[in-house]
Amino acid sequence: MPPSQDPLYAGLGQAVRIGTEMLAALIVGGGVGWLCDTYLFGSTPWGMVGGLVLGVVAGIRNAYRSAQRWPKT
Amino acid sequence: MEESPLHPFELHNWIPISLGGLDISINKAVVIMWVVVSLVAVLMVVAGSARKLVPGKLQNMAEIMVDFIRGIIMDTMGKGGMRFFPLIATLFLFILFCNLIGLIPGSYTVTSQIVVTAVFACLVYGLSLVMGFLLHGVKFLGILVPPGTPAWLLPLMVPIELISQLARPISLAVRLFANMTAGHVILGVLFGLSISGGLLIGWLPFAFTVAMNGLEVGIAFIQAYIFTVLTCVYLGDAFNLHGHDEHVH
Repeated sequence: MPPSQDPLYAGLGQAVRIGTEMLAALIVGGGVGWLCDTYLFGSTPWGMVGGLVLGVVAGIRNAYRSAQRWPKT
Repeated sequence: MEESPLHPFELHNWIPISLGGLDISINKAVVIMWVVVSLVAVLMVVAGSARKLVPGKLQNMAEIMVDFIRGIIMDTMGKGGMRFFPLIATLFLFILFCNLIGLIPGSYTVTSQIVVTAVFACLVYGLSLVMGFLLHGVKFLGILVPPGTPAWLLPLMVPIELISQLARPISLAVRLFANMTAGHVILGVLFGLSISGGLLIGWLPFAFTVAMNGLEVGIAFIQAYIFTVLTCVYLGDAFNLHGHDEHVH
């Protein structure tokens, strides 16, 4: 643990991060899918379904990645 | 005393100004932002003017903050990231003071407006994109391909990476905004309960209000800290393509 970071703060910070990281990926995935549906292909609802699935995958990947950055204690 | 808990977030124009159809009226949030900017500036200038070898109280506080921010940059970006020190220190101090000033009753939490946090997030993410393309050129698009991906997985991995990249500014903006808004809504609801409860039972939610206020001070610090750390991480990702996960441990 680097001396500049209070372990309590660093740990709390990590905990706060993960939830929003998953949520944001889900929003983006669903949003991009919805945009493709409505304005590009007119393929309602399949673009949004696919986008949401990709968003879930990306969200879990993000959470996993930020968990990998955790300092080993 | 029936009030919506979202009432404190409403903004009313104090001095309506319209510039070519653009609404740049002065309202409470704008005034509080000015206060925060001048407070930070005056505090840091006064603290930095003495430059004593044995620092006084104010200089000590400023030195701790500068040291703290430098530590974050060093841990996430390394020495090369020190050129962003002014930007990152400004972001940290501004967000921290906005969060803290919002806790004073009667003032306003600027960071509870998603416009403000979204502008910061877009600034940080846009800067990381510009830096990445300036430093690496077209090779920067390789950030969409994680190292060691087999070719047949590319059609699946590239959209996923694209989504997780696009999610960065959104998570940055939403995290700060949602935390500050939620905290103040809880404070409002608890305080409303203690007023409508009367003396008999009202002391209980009031005690919770006091406790929550203490928690909110902590959250103000943690959210400013997280925003700064993620700014550094995103800028650092633009610096050293791949291989950023390895030398963190």
